[in-house]
Amino acid sequence: MTLELEINGRKCQVEIQPPENAGAWTVLIDGKPVEADAHLIRPGVLSLLIGGKSHRVVLDPGHSDPALHLQAQRIPYRVEDLRSLRSRRRHARADGPATLKASMPGRVVRLLVEEGDAVALHQGILVIEAMKMQNELKSPKEGRIAEIRVSPGDTVAAGDILAVIE
Amino acid sequence: MFRKVLIANRGEIALRIHRACRELGISTVAVYSDADRAGLHVLEADEAWRLGPAPASESYLLGDLILETARRAGADAIHPGYGFLSENADFAQSCEQAGIKFIGPPSSAMRILGSKTNARQAADQAGMPRTPGCVHGLASPQEAYDVAAAVGYPVMLKAAAGGGGKGMRAVFTEEELPAAFVAASSEAERAFGSGEVYLEKLIERPRHIEIQIIADEHGHCVSLGERECSVQRRHQKVIEEAPSAVVSEDLRERMGQAAVRLAKSAGYTNAGTIEFLLDDDQNFYFLEMNTRLQVEHPVTELVTGYDLVHLQIRIAQGEPLPFAQKDVRLRGHAIECRVYAEDPANGFMPSPGRITRLLQPGGPGIREDCGIYEGWVVPMDYDPMLSKLIAFAPSREMAIARMLRALDEYVIGGIRTNLDLFRRILRDSDFRAARIDTGYLDRLIALDSRPVSDPPAAPGDAADAIVPAIAAAAFFEATKATNGTHASAAAAARAWKAIARRESVGASK
Repeated sequence: MTLELEINGRKCQVEIQPPENAGAWTVLIDGKPVEADAHLIRPGVLSLLIGGKSHRVVLDPGHSDPALHLQAQRIPYRVEDLRSLRSRRRHARADGPATLKASMPGRVVRLLVEEGDAVALHQGILVIEAMKMQNELKSPKEGRIAEIRVSPGDTVAAGDILAVIE
Repeated sequence: MFRKVLIANRGEIALRIHRACRELGISTVAVYSDADRAGLHVLEADEAWRLGPAPASESYLLGDLILETARRAGADAIHPGYGFLSENADFAQSCEQAGIKFIGPPSSAMRILGSKTNARQAADQAGMPRTPGCVHGLASPQEAYDVAAAVGYPVMLKAAAGGGGKGMRAVFTEEELPAAFVAASSEAERAFGSGEVYLEKLIERPRHIEIQIIADEHGHCVSLGERECSVQRRHQKVIEEAPSAVVSEDLRERMGQAAVRLAKSAGYTNAGTIEFLLDDDQNFYFLEMNTRLQVEHPVTELVTGYDLVHLQIRIAQGEPLPFAQKDVRLRGHAIECRVYAEDPANGFMPSPGRITRLLQPGGPGIREDCGIYEGWVVPMDYDPMLSKLIAFAPSREMAIARMLRALDEYVIGGIRTNLDLFRRILRDSDFRAARIDTGYLDRLIALDSRPVSDPPAAPGDAADAIVPAIAAAAFFEATKATNGTHASAAAAARAWKAIARRESVGASK
């Protein structure tokens, strides 16, 4: 199996050969072989021995961005199985309508603009609150408010689209 | 003796108090909002009663409902923890009238010491040094001008009912005063329901040093030494330690005596904290009194060997303090980190949500007071504190090393936390040399977020990617294997969930 990985923004290809003994893996990283003894000690916690060095790697599945915790570092990564799917990568059009997304889960406190209003870049659109902290979300572009999808009092999740600016 | 105590709080402090009650043979009553049904404090308590929906104003702040719940459950006493109703004199008075013991000071002492302006008057009467400024609320911007001119700029405007940095404004020139007055007053009105503000001279680069006192109901009051809480972000404590690296035996004694005098003058009982600012010349100034148990009480417990919550309960039962001032000895050094659900890399944005992975530290000298577990959904409705990690060692240097070791063991996944910020602080040479003041952390953060002119360093070479690459591949394989072999089990679980949803059994989302 060959995987394409993006770790901390750096891409590499990993080819995995099925373990002959339990846990003993031979892995080709960018074509270079590495022997590793991998042991999943409980779901999400991996003990990895490479050349006698011991590594504790913890999987943080996250909501949208999986990451690994390794020696006090949080390493975001993406994995793609090259065999099963061929690239997707949709690029957002820079000049099309922009969306305002919730940067954190919270409750909508108030709206600062109305549908149809003209807004400047970085102008405040609405205020959401979580954990006693209020946060003003600003317009990602100059334009006009085409749509506001929330009202004061609504609960929103991180990543929810709150407004559309054209 | 109390048989049953209602704990009017949530999270780590509710659990902390529950544990103390258990150790003293007292059964516990938890209360909870809808957001906390699956909270640890509900799970561990002997009884648990629902208060209402998630917002604190509809649950944990409903004094009458909590009192009624205590009555119904047959509790002898209520422990308020910190925050919520803990410094609400009206609530304490309602408890007194209902014959249910409020584990804390009498409402009369809370009224004197809980308002900052009243407390400043009490400080004057107790002969305690305080910052120059007024001891009454300011009636008008004109009065603010006059007081500021008398004490000299820079000055600080503060809410009389304040706390947590709300309703506070530093003012450096006369021109800034009117706008700051309006801003502080309206913020105070919104946060505390009272727009009363007062003004005091701003002490530049002060240290925050506070004295823990404990007083029984028989006239004994002792000081349990100081805590240094100078590492703050926007007036919110982040790291606390005991003892302070700069407080001498002599200074400790003088501050302790001043604190005890103030507490006694107000008829204070139970645990309390007197906060001071300490300037470069080791002059101390009374800041305010917190009439409750503090978040950072564990560092005092570790260096004195006393359990403050046990003492609170025993004092509330009418027992005399089991020791005298001369028995109090400080031993070793303790540091506490407040672990918050926030993202330091993203403007300290709150980060509520499900904790998908939790590996907690342990070993010698590590204590964790914690209210979370793997799978817990951190609600968005309350303050973002997840846990308090406390390291205790013979010296400050070793306590720092121990804390760094524990931080490396600690993993919280699914949400963002400030664990990395602690590593940054504890490795900083100024922190290690105890060159800290209340502006220290804000300066450190500003320094780190300064735009770097050079392009970011190129990602590490292939060798750095080996471990994460193999790990990512191994996790990918493991997930595939699980999905394959346990496909039927997963399908069964999905079916069960669907049934649970239909019958509204699965309360958690």
